[in-house]
Amino acid sequence: MSVLSSEWLKIRSVRSTYLILGLGVSTILLGLVLATSAAGAYDAAPPEQQAAARIADLEEALIIMPQLCMGILGVLVVTSDYATGLIRTSLTLVPRRWPVVAAKSAVVGALALLVGALAVFGTHLTARSVLGGRFSGAYATAFADRLPLLVALTLTVPVFALLGTGLGALLRSAAGATSVIVGFVYVIPIIVGNIPEPWSERLGSLMISALPRQITGDHITTSVYGSLLPPPAAAAVMLAYAAAPLVSATWLVRRRDV
Amino acid sequence: MKLGAHVNPGFDLEVRTLVRRAGGPPPRILYRVIELQHLTKRYGGTLAVDDLSFRVEPGHVTGFLGPNGAGKSTTMRLILGLDAPTSGQALVNGRRYTSLRMPMREVGALLDAGAVHGGRSAYNHLLSLARTNGIGSARVVEVLEEVGLAGVARKRVGGFSLGMKQRLGIAAALLGDPGILMFDEPVNGLDPDGVRWIRGLMRSLAAEGRTILLSSHLMSEMALTAERIVIVGRGRLIAEATVAELTARYPSLEDAYMALTSDSVQYGAAR
Ligand SMILES: Nc1ncnc2c1ncn2[C@@H]1O[C@H](COP(=O)(O)OP(=O)(O)OP(=O)(O)O)[C@@H](O)[C@H]1O
Ligand SMILES: [Mg+2]
Repeated sequence: MSVLSSEWLKIRSVRSTYLILGLGVSTILLGLVLATSAAGAYDAAPPEQQAAARIADLEEALIIMPQLCMGILGVLVVTSDYATGLIRTSLTLVPRRWPVVAAKSAVVGALALLVGALAVFGTHLTARSVLGGRFSGAYATAFADRLPLLVALTLTVPVFALLGTGLGALLRSAAGATSVIVGFVYVIPIIVGNIPEPWSERLGSLMISALPRQITGDHITTSVYGSLLPPPAAAAVMLAYAAAPLVSATWLVRRRDV
Repeated sequence: MKLGAHVNPGFDLEVRTLVRRAGGPPPRILYRVIELQHLTKRYGGTLAVDDLSFRVEPGHVTGFLGPNGAGKSTTMRLILGLDAPTSGQALVNGRRYTSLRMPMREVGALLDAGAVHGGRSAYNHLLSLARTNGIGSARVVEVLEEVGLAGVARKRVGGFSLGMKQRLGIAAALLGDPGILMFDEPVNGLDPDGVRWIRGLMRSLAAEGRTILLSSHLMSEMALTAERIVIVGRGRLIAEATVAELTARYPSLEDAYMALTSDSVQYGAAR
């Protein structure tokens, strides 16, 4: 508990934290802009075009923003200690070491859950109120029907944060760990999307972005990823994205000279 | 005086410890003692610390001397459990440092005054360290007063001068009011005022019965601060003696150091 309150104070007492949290939550503003312009275009279109018009799920399209922001916060919470040398002090004060990694993960994970929920639910509710019944009622469905997907999307944000913390502790370098995070978001899905079937669909099903809809069983045929996993398997894969780097990082931090 | 020899665990010192504690709490021989037993650390091809055995006792400042790269900082990291020894061990209060649960109350250390996040205030920096060991904000305020940083407690550490950062590092070491303190070159870059302040602080901490291990390259300053001296070179123990013994045999502590380390200087101009 004492290590947790220390790490909570540490993350609260540097400015960059607020910048990153703000950027993560500003997803809502982007959602507002996109929804407003879509509504304008819809209203200006003739009725037959309106009937055929479709709109993407904005909260799903924009989830990449809070994911990246909180992934980077997860990286920084570890690598800034390594960069300043403060990690030596931290590990001197807590010789068992694992509580330091655990406390950093808990603090970043909790903030990411909050930012993720604000971004996802904020964007959805904004789009809902701006778009009303437009686009064949895409945003006029019952809220309860959307709830599982919104929750699953929200959970990917702490997954990214913990992935960042684990990678930061493994690699000890902000540049290295951030590159891997960006790779997970942009590069690997593109590569996986371009390899021959059946591997493209098999590996595609394992991409983080493909997991929320597999968890809720809410598949869409237009997904660029695969959707081969049953909900429990998809949930397990999502958990593994957060846990595998963290567990190996904790193991390594306990053994490595600082 | 013993030169190049193994440690003298010091029967007389143990008696002194016993006598000092007579009437007080039950005597604990290893209380406030740093003990190195054949401590060895190898980094790839470099033998940074080589079969080092000595003991640091309470009640006086022990100066830790040696040329650049002699292994002083490595020894301190090994004592603090930051690096794992290749063989041998270091004990504080008779236990391995890594087995301590609230180490701030037993050992305080300043390794690198620059190891702070520039964006954090001095107060928040110290409070974040204190909290890990269940130490409250009242103690943070106290140590800030003690090192003379109370006036800048809410200022960002990034704007601190080197001397202010050294004071902050010393404040951090003092947070848990520990019986054992280690300082790696705390007078580096300090103005004469700061040097004198550290000298007084070290001596008064030792006079309170604490164990102080202090590394420095400033011989004249060390002669004024320390009572005992441990000299290492190329990771090995070169000499362990009192300042009085060394200055009786050589014109000054500096001359003693030069004579004793002449074979062990790895980096430097020919002399
Ligand atoms: N993490 C490390 N990896 C590899 N070599 C190291 C490491 N730390 C120290 N060394 C080497 O160990 C030796 C001892 O270094 P150390 O920093 O302990 O010396 P020092 O006595 O503190 O020197 P100085 O007076 O310059 O501070 C040096 O040769 C150094 O290069
Ligand atoms: Mg050194």
